[in-house]
Amino acid sequence: MKKDKQNGFNTPEGYFENFHERLMDKIKKEKAQTESIMPKSDGFGVPEGYFSGVTKKVLSKTVAENGKVIQLKSFRKFYYGAAAVAAVFLLIFGLNWKSDKPISFEDLANTEIDAYFERTEIDMSTYEIAELIPLENLELNDVLDKDIEAESILEYLDENVEDIEDLNLDYTNYE
Amino acid sequence: MYNQLIAEEALVNELKQKESQAKAFEVLVNTYKERLYWHIRRIVLDHDDTDDVLQNTFIKVYKNIDGFKGESKLYSWMYRIATNESLTFLKQKSRKMGVSDEELKNRMVENLQADVYFEGDEIQLKLQKALATLPDKQKLVFTMKYFQEMKYDGISEVLETSVGALKTSYHLAVKKIEAYLKED
Repeated sequence: MKKDKQNGFNTPEGYFENFHERLMDKIKKEKAQTESIMPKSDGFGVPEGYFSGVTKKVLSKTVAENGKVIQLKSFRKFYYGAAAVAAVFLLIFGLNWKSDKPISFEDLANTEIDAYFERTEIDMSTYEIAELIPLENLELNDVLDKDIEAESILEYLDENVEDIEDLNLDYTNYE
Repeated sequence: MYNQLIAEEALVNELKQKESQAKAFEVLVNTYKERLYWHIRRIVLDHDDTDDVLQNTFIKVYKNIDGFKGESKLYSWMYRIATNESLTFLKQKSRKMGVSDEELKNRMVENLQADVYFEGDEIQLKLQKALATLPDKQKLVFTMKYFQEMKYDGISEVLETSVGALKTSYHLAVKKIEAYLKED
């Protein structure tokens, strides 16, 4: 029996001699237990011949896409023709339904704007978006549906601001 | 390993030169398509979705190869693109469907039962259900280590996470999955 000189704790005979074997044995058992519960494959399959076909699909969208530019030349005259027809139509429509003002942001339907944000991954934090939007012409009511009562603002500040100094208010404006 | 690195460097050089690009890209696609496919499939689960994401991944690789600095290995770089593409795809899908990420994951697993390209038995389906409960990082580490049998060093390069943190994530994932599989 070994004795620790400093605090008098004992360990069973041979404890340290076969510690490594016992540890490895335990790890082995745990591994075997994991393997017995967990399936080794996950059961996914692919359609037959998929991998031989996917190379073609990828190449047609990358390498071949670049090569296509040369081909366009032979169709150039058709493009000129199409452009001429489009120009005539534009002229006719332009003359008949001449609008007083050019299309502006206001003309976009809200649903289209919503759909754009739905489809597009903006990947920016609210702080980054805030940096992009100029604040000069922006009123609080532009971003809020309902007006906020002054009382609500005071109530919010009262509940959420511990030290009024944190707000860095410029008191000189109010004097 | 050394030979593999030289071959990879030569391939990257060929990919950056106009005259050798097309041939080199074909070699690249043929070399990595299956590995990347399985990596993506284990994240998005559905075959058709995987097909879309795999093609997008290769298109991104093709368009950005000039920007590849060689600071990491080519395959780690491609795995990273594939991982990001897959996770972004799922995020967009959940937004389109108007459901939360968790809800989408549950629906994806439910759809597996009717998927003709899922040949898993009851245990394998239960494993997918267990995986759906894990945070993204733990799930990724688990599938890369357990199914793709990648080394921690390789996973560390792809996920840009230390080996120590990966070992912890893997250990936690195994414990959670075991507990889930033991449940009735």
